[in-house]
Amino acid sequence: MRKLYLSTTVIFWLLVSAFWASSLWLPPAEESVAVAAEKVISRTELAKHALPDNCWMAIRGTVYDLSAYLPRHPSPPEIVLPWCGKEATQAYDTKTKGRPHSAYADELLARYRIGILAANKP
Amino acid sequence: MFLLRWLSIPLLVLLATAGPVYWAFPEGLSPARSLGIVLGWAGCGLLLASLLLMLRETWLSRWLGGLERMYQWHHRVGMAAYVLLLAHPLALAADAWPASPVLAWQTLSPFTQGWPVRLGWLSLLLLMLGLAATFATGLPYRSWRWLHVSLGVGVLVGLWHLLQLGIEEPVLPILALAALFLGWRILREDSGLAARPYIVQSAAPVADAMVEITLKPLAEPIAVTAGQFVLVAFFAGPTFRGCGEFHPFTVSSMGADREIRVGVKALGDCTRRIQGMEPGVLARVHGAFGTFLAERPAAPQLWLAGGIGITPFLALLRTGPLSQETTLVYLYRAEADAAFLQELRALAEQDPQLSLQALATGNDPPNLDSLLPATRELAGHECYLCGPPGMLAAVRQSLHERGIKPRHIHFENFGFR
Repeated sequence: MRKLYLSTTVIFWLLVSAFWASSLWLPPAEESVAVAAEKVISRTELAKHALPDNCWMAIRGTVYDLSAYLPRHPSPPEIVLPWCGKEATQAYDTKTKGRPHSAYADELLARYRIGILAANKP
Repeated sequence: MFLLRWLSIPLLVLLATAGPVYWAFPEGLSPARSLGIVLGWAGCGLLLASLLLMLRETWLSRWLGGLERMYQWHHRVGMAAYVLLLAHPLALAADAWPASPVLAWQTLSPFTQGWPVRLGWLSLLLLMLGLAATFATGLPYRSWRWLHVSLGVGVLVGLWHLLQLGIEEPVLPILALAALFLGWRILREDSGLAARPYIVQSAAPVADAMVEITLKPLAEPIAVTAGQFVLVAFFAGPTFRGCGEFHPFTVSSMGADREIRVGVKALGDCTRRIQGMEPGVLARVHGAFGTFLAERPAAPQLWLAGGIGITPFLALLRTGPLSQETTLVYLYRAEADAAFLQELRALAEQDPQLSLQALATGNDPPNLDSLLPATRELAGHECYLCGPPGMLAAVRQSLHERGIKPRHIHFENFGFR
């Protein structure tokens, strides 16, 4: 049992170190989102995408298509799904419990960016 | 009944693991992420089972096949949970690897993530520290015990990590159960609420660094049979100061007047202090536990005792003449270590069913080939072994070589760490 503890702990730390080292030394993957030709999305259009498998959200003026990500979100669906098709900045910034999302979440979110929310348009 | 007892712990562990995994089983996710989620929930269920298996209740130990077995499974299940929980964040990071090594590290790193991930890390580090202490045999018992407590804290922090992720439905009942098991252990068992009050009536040296203590009940006595052990904490007397910790001691005698006697060998700081025991010391006794000599068949028997391992056999011999033909092989290092030898010789002279072979082995391992009966003579025997782990392993091996099947070999290590 002691051998199992020692070997698994050492392997764990070696793999954690490998993840850390590769994040420093391996080149980052190409950005999957092109932001050059940014689409302007109205609130009416946003509201049409309010289903679990077709879920857009506006956060800090940017619109994200989170349909593919939702199954991976760690919180239960009932916490996230009500915000599909809506302006969700407040919910994202507070996680409905007064705590902001992490920098990691910000980076992950950027991968699902599809446009910007139209200002003052229905 | 035997099968039910044998299956009880595996079934319990399976249920505790499969329940949360079934509830949280992911659909439509990548294999690595699904694996990470399943590993996390399986580890969580195993930890809960491990907490249940550390409870010291006589009724629970009867259901689950004895305290010794519960502790073996407590160690195995806890270790399995640790391995799965180590793999849990690694699988989640591996899922992000194809997208970007940076994203993979950010999935894992406590520095770029919020409190849910930081709590997950804290939980893993507490489990790592607690297990490191568990395997550190050189630590004093008291330090070891407190470091072992960090495992319980690690479990609670791990469940807090799940709550921070917004997962409340199965986590709150699991958290309630984990807190119940930990509180139960601390209040009822470590604090002695489940134990009965006794007072030391006498203490007599029986060998080098070994004393036999007679305990008289101050209230309702515990129920005990030969071969069982009790957990005893000794407190203060006129001049003696006990360490107040519960330690396991085998019962060497059950008196008709409800007194019990326990044999205590100086093996650590606390048991060394107990060698200076005096009458009038207050004690709390919890138990009795163990099924070592219970349900013995009518077949002829071979008993093999090493050192203080003689006490369960002595307890049985003191209850009266044997009904089975029995050979008792008693091994000890030197004559000065041979506790109860004169009494055993007297019992063997009075009881025609008992044949005693007592032997001083010195510091070298005994030659079991010459000590144990030949294969032909052992046929049909039930073998009962009690002694240090190294001796038990060697004797079991020798008995296997003589064709004795495992179901006819009964043993207890009395090892609690």
